[in-house]
Amino acid sequence: MHNLPRTVIQESLVEPQIIDNFSHEAQAIVGADQVSANPADLLANSRDYWPVNNIWMIEGRVPALPQLVVWPGNTEEVSALLKLATKLKVPVTPYGEGSGTMGGAIPLKGGISFDLKRMNRLLKIDEESLMVTVECGLNGALYEENLNRAGYTGGHFPQSLRCSSVGGWLACRAAGQFSTRYGKIEDIAVSLEAVLPDGTIFSGRSVPRTATGPRLDHLLIGSEGIFGVITSATLRIWPLPEKRHLVSYTFADLKGALDSIRLIMRTGARPAVVRLYDTQETGNHFPELGDQRCALILLIEGANKIVTAEAEVIEDLVLAAGAVNCGPEHVEHWLEKRFNISVASMLFQKGAVLDTIEVSTNWHNAHSTYLAMQKSLLSVDGTMLASGHYSHVYPDGAALYMTTVGFPGSDKLIFYKRIWQAAMEACLDQGAAISHHHGIGLHRGLWMKDEHGSGLEVLEKIKKALDPDQIMNPGKLGLGGVKLWQK
Amino acid sequence: MAEVNMEQLLNCALCPNMCRCDCPVLLALGHEKVAPAGKARFAAMHKQDHLELSKELIEAIAHCLGCRGCTVLCPFPELNLCDELLYARTPDPDDQTGPLPAWEPYLANLKKYGSPYGQKPPFKGKAKKEADILYFNGCTALANHPQSLAAAEQLFQKAGVSYQLIAEDCCGYPAETWGDLKLARSLAAENYRKFVESGAKKLVTSCPECWMIFTERYPEWGFELPLEIIDAPSYFLGLVNEGLLKPSAVGQANLSYHDPCIWARTAKITEEPRQLLESIPGITIEEPLASGELTHCCGGGRMFQLSFPKAAEDIAKRRLAEFPAGVNIVTACPFCREGLTQDNRRVIDLLELLAEACCS
Repeated sequence: MHNLPRTVIQESLVEPQIIDNFSHEAQAIVGADQVSANPADLLANSRDYWPVNNIWMIEGRVPALPQLVVWPGNTEEVSALLKLATKLKVPVTPYGEGSGTMGGAIPLKGGISFDLKRMNRLLKIDEESLMVTVECGLNGALYEENLNRAGYTGGHFPQSLRCSSVGGWLACRAAGQFSTRYGKIEDIAVSLEAVLPDGTIFSGRSVPRTATGPRLDHLLIGSEGIFGVITSATLRIWPLPEKRHLVSYTFADLKGALDSIRLIMRTGARPAVVRLYDTQETGNHFPELGDQRCALILLIEGANKIVTAEAEVIEDLVLAAGAVNCGPEHVEHWLEKRFNISVASMLFQKGAVLDTIEVSTNWHNAHSTYLAMQKSLLSVDGTMLASGHYSHVYPDGAALYMTTVGFPGSDKLIFYKRIWQAAMEACLDQGAAISHHHGIGLHRGLWMKDEHGSGLEVLEKIKKALDPDQIMNPGKLGLGGVKLWQK
Repeated sequence: MAEVNMEQLLNCALCPNMCRCDCPVLLALGHEKVAPAGKARFAAMHKQDHLELSKELIEAIAHCLGCRGCTVLCPFPELNLCDELLYARTPDPDDQTGPLPAWEPYLANLKKYGSPYGQKPPFKGKAKKEADILYFNGCTALANHPQSLAAAEQLFQKAGVSYQLIAEDCCGYPAETWGDLKLARSLAAENYRKFVESGAKKLVTSCPECWMIFTERYPEWGFELPLEIIDAPSYFLGLVNEGLLKPSAVGQANLSYHDPCIWARTAKITEEPRQLLESIPGITIEEPLASGELTHCCGGGRMFQLSFPKAAEDIAKRRLAEFPAGVNIVTACPFCREGLTQDNRRVIDLLELLAEACCS
């Protein structure tokens, strides 16, 4: 047995003396009890919810360890700590609730795990302009509960709602299940306050729109901690809906269902939830609907008359396309089960490798990307399942969410890399974008050059300008530091 | 010794933890190592021989209140993480790690006096072999709130119910909490002997921790109790409903009730205390933000006030913020009473309030 488990992809560590110096000065900033080299803290902050971390945990290993964990309590402390980290050239990996699925919170080069959970206050609700200002470390479910008590909703419900933070949503450019009505996090965000590696605190204006040059604060949305630390945000909110209408339909085939959804979006109707399942997932999630048809579940909410009108427009359109109305109960079932991901824990224990791969398509390739990714995933030896659903829709396309499960036998990591290679090649080949809302983190950085082309150089240039010492979350968003994982 | 259920422990360790926002320790401390899955991962890696349990890791795993808040929305119906964590950190008999320094003086007291608080107050009760009811007060109330026993005795006497008391030893809950299972079982054996000797048919206790250890652990440890275990709120509500106790107004109007975790989530006792309160004329209950089976721990679970007093205080502050401002709080657990006594409002014991209403 060991005092700390072996690391697998630790790129490097900082000289212990430098860490000691950082620790000493950091304690003066945040207090001695908010700086820790306790092995329990280092181990806890070594990982996120990237499935590979679970494979390694069962084997008794962790991806990489930080050398210190700090918990700043406010923006000024974040600023002082980042200034110190830049001075000492110590890597900093921001940490929220640890629900990321791409390895974005792994401290590849050791240094500091920058845990933001203490910054969890809901600062102000502007009921007139429908905005809330909130610190980044607040848990998503608590954020929504706070708003509900005041009569509002944040409109943002990722499956990770209960295990993710507001800052995490912004940093990874998240999308919630109700996004077709309320928008994704970049639509919901009015402004951000953030701290750059040199300690500069800056924030955007909390106004509906500006034409004052690029929105610099919005540069941090989706930056996954490589530019700085998001400390608070002003987000849009909505009065709690007057009415909620639940309805489900089944279609004979996926392509026809996609076409109906595309037409729904052309009408201007904006149901909060639009989810279309292939035949396999329909059978898995709604067994009473069988596994020969494709289920579409809709949740429409808002003002009473608008909801009624949207429901009627949609009903006319889909029934004309041959869909069958299956009532509200399947949507109720989905609402009840939508945060339950117990199957993942059980499958990992049985030796399975599983993951979900979400990509962004336009309408012309929404179906072909599904077919191509499914075929590609099933071509990998050991894959048992490759199914999909469309989880978010737009007038110009849809998010395709593939689920794959395999029993690879001995080398799970090689299998994991093969399924991802297969999925990403098929996705890129179809012209889809490699991520819709899970982000890039460590793992998906392998395909960032394919995704962005010369755009990746632009990202590198911005990174160098803002973080010349490369201290912020090294190795993420496809910018270096992935050698051990590539190997 | 209870064995860890590895399948269930791993279910938690491999989960992103939709229960994070239900863990009072994580919410109060904000440190990842005390997140449900954080603790489960340490425990699982240890039980699979990948990780040695240093005192730092034991301390992290022990940052669990046993409140079972994480079970409320847990997708694994058979998972009781609080118990799995306890079992995983309980040392083997030949383990040389020793208890955490914070636990040592209390364990020494338990060994010497049968109470974590040291010398017990002199036992003044008289054995009444003919009484079917045995009242068990618990060592925290005995040591810190002697008026609670007086209240229970007043209620029994007012109702005309014959009862008996014994020279209680600690139920074993604290010793189990602090990892000394041998001591916990020896205390249980002593209590078991006294219970059998008493000849009582029913044991009424006002301490949820005692209730849980009697109902869940004693049978596991081989002590099949020959008497029915009843929680005090249900028992005294029965006396009110039978007309043996007739509460009068006490000068309290609006009160809030704090559901102790064990009563609410394990014993499912949520309505009985409220019915007791409502039986007192003039009392209106104002609910906190979280109540009933969704209650939040006061910070006193698993003896946190003794083990980790700063964390207990931080957790209590979060819980207190959920109550209506300025309203006094009633509760039915000695640990909750102590945990919530932080600001200038009164925290009232349910039985003491009932005694005031029935016996003044």
